[in-house]
Amino acid sequence: MKIRGRVWKYGDDVNTDVIFAGKYTYTIKDRAEMAKYALEDLDPEFTRSAHAGDIIVAGKNWGCGSSREQAAICLKERGIGAIIARSFARIHYRNCLNEGLPIIISSEIQDLVKAGDEVEVDFDRGEIIVGDRTIKFPPYPEFVQGLVNDGGLIPHVKKALGLV
Amino acid sequence: MGKTMIMKIMERASGKEVKVGDRVWCNIDWSTARDFGGANCALQFDEITNNEGRVWDPDRIAFTFDLQAPSHSEKVSNNQKIIREFARRQGITHVFDINHGIGQHVLLEHGLVKPGDVILGTDSHMNLLGGVAAFATGVGNTDIAASWLNGTNWFRVPETMKIEVRGEFQRGVSMRDFLTMLVGDLGAGGMDFLAVEFTGESIERASLSERITLCSMVTEMSGKIGLILPNGPVLEWLANRAGPEVYARVSAIAPDGDAPYIDVRRYDVSALEPMASCPDAPDNVRPVREIAGTSVDQVHIGSCTNGRYEDISAAFEVLKLSGFKISPNVRTIITPATREVMLQAAREGMIEKFLEAGVVFTNPTCALCTAEHYGALPSGDIGCSTTNRNFIGKVGKGSHTYLMSPMSAMATAVRGVITDPRDILCQGGN
Repeated sequence: MKIRGRVWKYGDDVNTDVIFAGKYTYTIKDRAEMAKYALEDLDPEFTRSAHAGDIIVAGKNWGCGSSREQAAICLKERGIGAIIARSFARIHYRNCLNEGLPIIISSEIQDLVKAGDEVEVDFDRGEIIVGDRTIKFPPYPEFVQGLVNDGGLIPHVKKALGLV
Repeated sequence: MGKTMIMKIMERASGKEVKVGDRVWCNIDWSTARDFGGANCALQFDEITNNEGRVWDPDRIAFTFDLQAPSHSEKVSNNQKIIREFARRQGITHVFDINHGIGQHVLLEHGLVKPGDVILGTDSHMNLLGGVAAFATGVGNTDIAASWLNGTNWFRVPETMKIEVRGEFQRGVSMRDFLTMLVGDLGAGGMDFLAVEFTGESIERASLSERITLCSMVTEMSGKIGLILPNGPVLEWLANRAGPEVYARVSAIAPDGDAPYIDVRRYDVSALEPMASCPDAPDNVRPVREIAGTSVDQVHIGSCTNGRYEDISAAFEVLKLSGFKISPNVRTIITPATREVMLQAAREGMIEKFLEAGVVFTNPTCALCTAEHYGALPSGDIGCSTTNRNFIGKVGKGSHTYLMSPMSAMATAVRGVITDPRDILCQGGN
């Protein structure tokens, strides 16, 4: 699978409160509705104009803080093609996996792109293409890839239980 | 090579030998959800089982109503009703409704948590239960719903960092100040994906309340779990609540002498002073005396990090030495962690004194952890709080919050500006 999208660029330690504000978590149940508020307290421009296929490039510890899955759902529903970060906070990492939102660990791309640049990600080859540069990124760990191949955690558990 | 505490916990839970970096399926002792997120878990479970599924074990699931208790709106009430109905339908009896308090604390007080347990919850501060050596972790609703199918979930066996703490706190300084210093030292991602064992004489002496404070803030360094092996009075307390089995559990998970640690850090708290997390991040740390004099609009004492009896009692001492008077220019709110904590404060006569001083003393809840319950800050206001996060906009768009210990927070409430509690405690009053 290949995606091509415009870069939204952020720094270190972006927390889930600014990805999806706590005040909405109780009252917004509809997934598509959640997408309208994505990154509201971090970058109102993103909230207004992010497109499906866009790519988030961030620093260390993306998604720290609250365990709310809405922080992954709102980006997934917004159509974000991938999040590329130097590292991810662990609860959000699980939530992104569980929502089928591709996450890529890379520390090279941050210095090569600025907001608005177009980049391409080739998931099969494990490559990010920025202009004439190609950056390799590691595949998911084998265990995690197994969950992804089964369609995610819930289909995997159901399969193990013989429910599907 | 020996094994760390988290390795032993995961071996018990997975039934097999583990090494660092393995990903293993663990049996879950408790899979819990609170009012914040619980309805989504219930709805998702029904969806993935076509409304016909039965949870794997209704006696291993608990619901806690703590974030918006009592409900403040019809929408929230409807959300909470989804949880109650699901519990009834599934035969789940561990439902701690709006009159109980903060979930992890309630589970602990009810004797439901044992050292070595693996516990899931929809709260990123579940890991405060590491204060009694349980591996508890916050997860999203999918992880919870999946665990309800068969009582398992997967984890990576993490590397372990060891933090040794020695020395005694000076008057006016507390475990929260050590934590704040630590968050500043290691940074928001300083423990990402790691387990942490806290040891050393200061930890061995620490009360349950201090251990909870310590382990809850591991989340603010993105740690997986902070673990403290129960000993002394904490172990006795735990055995009284959770049964004598806890002694064997503690022996079974004690780390080996040659366990592998990727990092060992040593701290001495004897010269530590009151510390604060400044706007807008927990790791933006400065000594309280450097920001003293900053005006604040609201002070809040409570939360899963600092809402226990000892925390309220520490604040009470500061208030007492100030002639039971707070600044009329500051809105001061105290929220106990649980009903048990509130009852203890009531029996000690503290609540009456707080109320007379003009404090708003609320029922037990998570209080100001989101902008959606009481105490939200309007734009431009400055808050001072013992909660664990001061991310921008968290308790109100355009507001900013300083995080500090209960003693510092109460000293600030007394004077109306950020105040080093030693100014009151060490000089005999206000």
